[in-house]
Amino acid sequence: MRPKFCTIVGLLVLLSLVLSACATPTPQVVRETVVVEKEKKVEVVQTQIVEKPVEKVVEKKVEVIVTPTPPAKPFEGVTVNILTFTGPQIAEPLQRRGPDFTKLTGAKINVIVVPFSDLYQKILTDFATKTNAYDAVVFAPQWMVDYIVPGYLEDLTPRVNADKDIQWEDIAPFFRDFSATFQGKIYTIPLDGDFQMVYYRTDLLDKAGLRPPETWDDYLYIAKAFHGRDLNGDNTPDYGSCISKKRGAQAYWMIWSVAAAFLQAKGTSEGSFFDLDTFKPLTDNEAFAAALDVYKETTKYGPPDELNLDVGDTRSLFTAGRCALSLDWGDIGTLAIDPETSKVKDKTGAVILPGTTKVLDRKTGKLVPCDQNTCPYAINGVNHAPFAAYGGWSGAINVGAKPKTKDAAYAFLSYMSQPAQANVDVTIGKTGFNPYRTSQFLNREQWVKAGMSPAAAANYLGAIEASLASPNMVLDLRIPQNQRYQQVVLDKAISQFLAGEITRDQCMKQITDGWEEITNELGRDKQKAAYLGSLGVQK
Amino acid sequence: MDRVRAALERWAGHAFLWPVVLVVLFLSIFPLLLSLYLSLARLQFVPGGFQLTFIGLNNYRKLFLGSEQVHFLGLAGQPSLIGWAIFGLGVALLAWTLVSYARGQRATVGGVVGRGLAAVIGSLILLMLVRTLAPGGRPGTITVTLIYVFVDLTIQYLLGLGLALLCTQRLPGRRFFRVVFLLPMMITPVGVAYMFRMLADTTKGPFKPIWGALGLYNVSWVNDPWGARAAVMIGDIWQWTPFMFIVLLAALEGQSVEQVEAATVDGANSWQIFRHITLPEILPVSTTLILIRMIEAFKIVDLPNVLTNGGPGTATESLTLQAYINWRTLDLGGASAVAYVLLFLVTFLAMTYVNVIRRRLVET
Amino acid sequence: METFLKLFRRRSLLQPSVAQMVVSYFLLIGWAFVVLFPLYWLVITSLKLPIHVNDGPVYLPFVDFEPSLHAWKYILIGDLKNDTIRPYVNTLIVGLASALLALTLGTMAAYGLIRFRYRPRLGAIGAFLGCLGLAVIAVVLGVPWTIAAVAALALFILILQTVGRRFQKSLGNSDIAFWLISQRILPPVAVVIPIYVLYQQFRLLDTHVGLIIAYVGANLPIVVWLMRDYFQTIPVELEECAAIDGASRYRIFVSIVLPLAVPGLIATFLFVLVFAWNEYLLALFLSSARAQTMPLTVAAQNATRGPQWWYMSVLIIIMILPVIIMAIVLERYIARGLLVGAIKG
Repeated sequence: MRPKFCTIVGLLVLLSLVLSACATPTPQVVRETVVVEKEKKVEVVQTQIVEKPVEKVVEKKVEVIVTPTPPAKPFEGVTVNILTFTGPQIAEPLQRRGPDFTKLTGAKINVIVVPFSDLYQKILTDFATKTNAYDAVVFAPQWMVDYIVPGYLEDLTPRVNADKDIQWEDIAPFFRDFSATFQGKIYTIPLDGDFQMVYYRTDLLDKAGLRPPETWDDYLYIAKAFHGRDLNGDNTPDYGSCISKKRGAQAYWMIWSVAAAFLQAKGTSEGSFFDLDTFKPLTDNEAFAAALDVYKETTKYGPPDELNLDVGDTRSLFTAGRCALSLDWGDIGTLAIDPETSKVKDKTGAVILPGTTKVLDRKTGKLVPCDQNTCPYAINGVNHAPFAAYGGWSGAINVGAKPKTKDAAYAFLSYMSQPAQANVDVTIGKTGFNPYRTSQFLNREQWVKAGMSPAAAANYLGAIEASLASPNMVLDLRIPQNQRYQQVVLDKAISQFLAGEITRDQCMKQITDGWEEITNELGRDKQKAAYLGSLGVQK
Repeated sequence: MDRVRAALERWAGHAFLWPVVLVVLFLSIFPLLLSLYLSLARLQFVPGGFQLTFIGLNNYRKLFLGSEQVHFLGLAGQPSLIGWAIFGLGVALLAWTLVSYARGQRATVGGVVGRGLAAVIGSLILLMLVRTLAPGGRPGTITVTLIYVFVDLTIQYLLGLGLALLCTQRLPGRRFFRVVFLLPMMITPVGVAYMFRMLADTTKGPFKPIWGALGLYNVSWVNDPWGARAAVMIGDIWQWTPFMFIVLLAALEGQSVEQVEAATVDGANSWQIFRHITLPEILPVSTTLILIRMIEAFKIVDLPNVLTNGGPGTATESLTLQAYINWRTLDLGGASAVAYVLLFLVTFLAMTYVNVIRRRLVET
Repeated sequence: METFLKLFRRRSLLQPSVAQMVVSYFLLIGWAFVVLFPLYWLVITSLKLPIHVNDGPVYLPFVDFEPSLHAWKYILIGDLKNDTIRPYVNTLIVGLASALLALTLGTMAAYGLIRFRYRPRLGAIGAFLGCLGLAVIAVVLGVPWTIAAVAALALFILILQTVGRRFQKSLGNSDIAFWLISQRILPPVAVVIPIYVLYQQFRLLDTHVGLIIAYVGANLPIVVWLMRDYFQTIPVELEECAAIDGASRYRIFVSIVLPLAVPGLIATFLFVLVFAWNEYLLALFLSSARAQTMPLTVAAQNATRGPQWWYMSVLIIIMILPVIIMAIVLERYIARGLLVGAIKG
């Protein structure tokens, strides 16, 4: 008994001694350039990883046989490995259109899928370790800063400029100029448009003589009016508002959809997360407090287990007719017309995110009423700020891929985004693609063909148009390690606030302190530069 | 030929053990060192790769003293008199063990120091439990994990033993039950977690009518911290009782019948037989089982992650889930620091367990 | 009735009385219900249309709702066909190979730990760690890791042969066992990135071999610990007899010890098979296209649209079927009396 205890303690001590003696990253990674700088006793070790030839996931079929029409099939023999998450959404259209593209150009499209929840780390690990198993990725552009800053993504600007077929001007300005672009360069090709809207039951509101919510007060009023009433004829009480508030899911976008209108009023480049000068978070002021109050109050009119619902649950509740209102991305529109899932076909309306009549004055941290100066883009005195949460799935190209493969990958992404393909795909619920091109919501024919009634199509596309046309659209947070700001700090604080673990003021303080801590850790100047870069602000 | 055989014979001991040692070394040394270093560093992505900045114990300081303290250790409340009494009793017990060892025949300096250290760590853990579980307090991820482990292990062992005893009887159809009882273990943990999420759903799950009949339409387990924790624990018990069951069953089946026969002839009742014959036979296996399950149970992550994602608030968040959330956002330093605290905690508990319980029960 | 009475009359130590049987059945059926109900729910969920799931609970196919095979079609012959079959085959290969390998190696080590006395000297371990540290420093300073490793190994052997002999203090078998089990303490999230980097160096990413090695390594401690306890219950006298008869150590192990340990071997095999079969995180990182396993496919059914319960249920069901069959086949070997027979014979 005795020697054992000692020896194990001894072993641990020895181990730690060995480690403290070296205190440097471990061997196998590092190969070539190792720069050791000393700065104020902090050792900075920069590790450079050597690029290594790595076997490709799919063997290349090098055609030795004659290629009869080389100009017609420019990418004969090229295989493009594209990583995205397991579908059917997003992956399905890529897989379906891959063979067509092969017929056109000869390039083989190989779609590799991983579970959605782990896509971000999987991409980053592959790029950072230079494994380069993927030539292109289809991902949420919110993450792109983490890939662009270290230089993992190919700059697509010259390719896009030279490409007529993609009809770049047809893409809605927000997605073109903000979502796909970082510091003036184009890095991604939009395949999907993501922003949040409020959905409501047209039949219920008509009957009650109510208008769709314009402000968050309207939203609460409507939710309260319908909460506890039977909304789908099954004699059980239903809910006024269903919002996904589960921790570790989408809750941190939902709160921002509520908060956005309070925080941002002067156009996309004003940003809604940080002060542009000091880079202090905008989360400890009257505006954010008001948003938190609204958010918490919606819980009163929600299902009892709303704190544990993710969007899958709220969507199924809404399409089962159990909610009067819901807050979601464009998906409900297409799900509602799917007879396999929906009981609310042609009873679903969409509207731009409700706004506010008071907005944040950034100097004082107080709420001030909307006027021509404070809310230049207000409609009927209400400041709307549609939140482009997540940003919409987009394709990007790995800078480490072979030149020919890059060309083929770009050609494929462009092909997917061209109106001939995209305008059909966005009307199919299964693809998970939502509209992002002007031609997609101006031309309603495709939607009626997909099963929407003309009135519903007009309503749904009208809401999309109103959102996309808004110059005050809110860009999601795009700074290095934004996942830590949102998924760790914001998400946890909001969840604790809703669960009653902390008060509103504690919640605001916790978010602000948490964000400041990460900012200080990663370098305020770097983070600020990235933030301004994502908003297209030149300073 | 004989020389070869003799040599082979002489090296038999090494031939049996070394393959395992080599495989484990290959897979463990490098990851162990790298993740230890990661826990002392900060990862950033910079042009051309990534950069690890050595930041000393900052990641740990954040957990124990910094912004993660309340999340990690919990929020201290005001323990009642009973709480303090429990704490006092625990400390007294630890102190008594230490003193009685120190005065014993076989005490050594190292032994006393080691046990003293163990007693101090034990008291600190106890203090944390008493204070964060007190009214006004809120358990942190460490406390939540300890609760999971303790409750799950106890119930799983008792259930597993009971079922194994039932299944050793000569009952028609027992083979059916044996296979059925194994089933939960065979489902992938992620799958079990999603299955329980389906079952626990109060708006569309199978228990909705029962829930409604109890008049709980507007109440949900997810809003109550203990309700959510109970849901996680029920899932874990459901899944891992088979592990206890099958090992104990194999152990019970392996015991010799003759002793039992002899005891029956002597007129012993079944409790006596269990207590004096069966129990000593299955003790070694039982202690191993509990050790293995303890180590595994500390790593509980799938159930809380899928069922509640750690919510409501932080009520169901386990240590591994905390590490996983950090890791998911590529805060590898923070994740490794949590993992290393877990490593030390479990190593400490496992060593105490092995030294105190297993040796006493098995090797005497 | 007659069989009942007969049983009642013939009541021996293993045959319970009628009252006991009633209680036993009550308990057994009770727990069987607890086990089977969630599985039943899986089966009927796999037959439901999304609208049946979303609309609140329905319990009986044909009575409550019209069952549909849409999910089964989608998984097995529809869109997901290729993403089901390949991972399925991968899981089979990786699960079986790693379980067999882990069982073989682990059982040998467990036997070694029971019947031999190992005395790893502290000096040797210290020297090993020291050399490791030196190698790490060398690599950081720019020496290629292959050279560093060889040099460190040489140095280690040199030290071992000279200085190391002076430190005679040593560890025992139980310390080795504890070291092995301690390998399982660190949660996978902490080691998965390092293992990824390691595998990248050895070109093991996205290969079956890579996954098999990882699972063998992860499961060995469990095999060693469980088998150690089974071997402990096997009387040493049998082996001594055989040794007197001139059997070698290996022969004793294979033809005497292993047959006696069959129940334990089977139980342990089932565990490691199940662990390897169901592992998620390592599989996620160490495989990407060719070697992906089933747990990834299950987890992937929760994407942007929320969990696709119907697909997920189908996948879980087809995933557990082979393991259930294996359990049914192997269960008979966890039988009583082997030990008794051996001692008597």
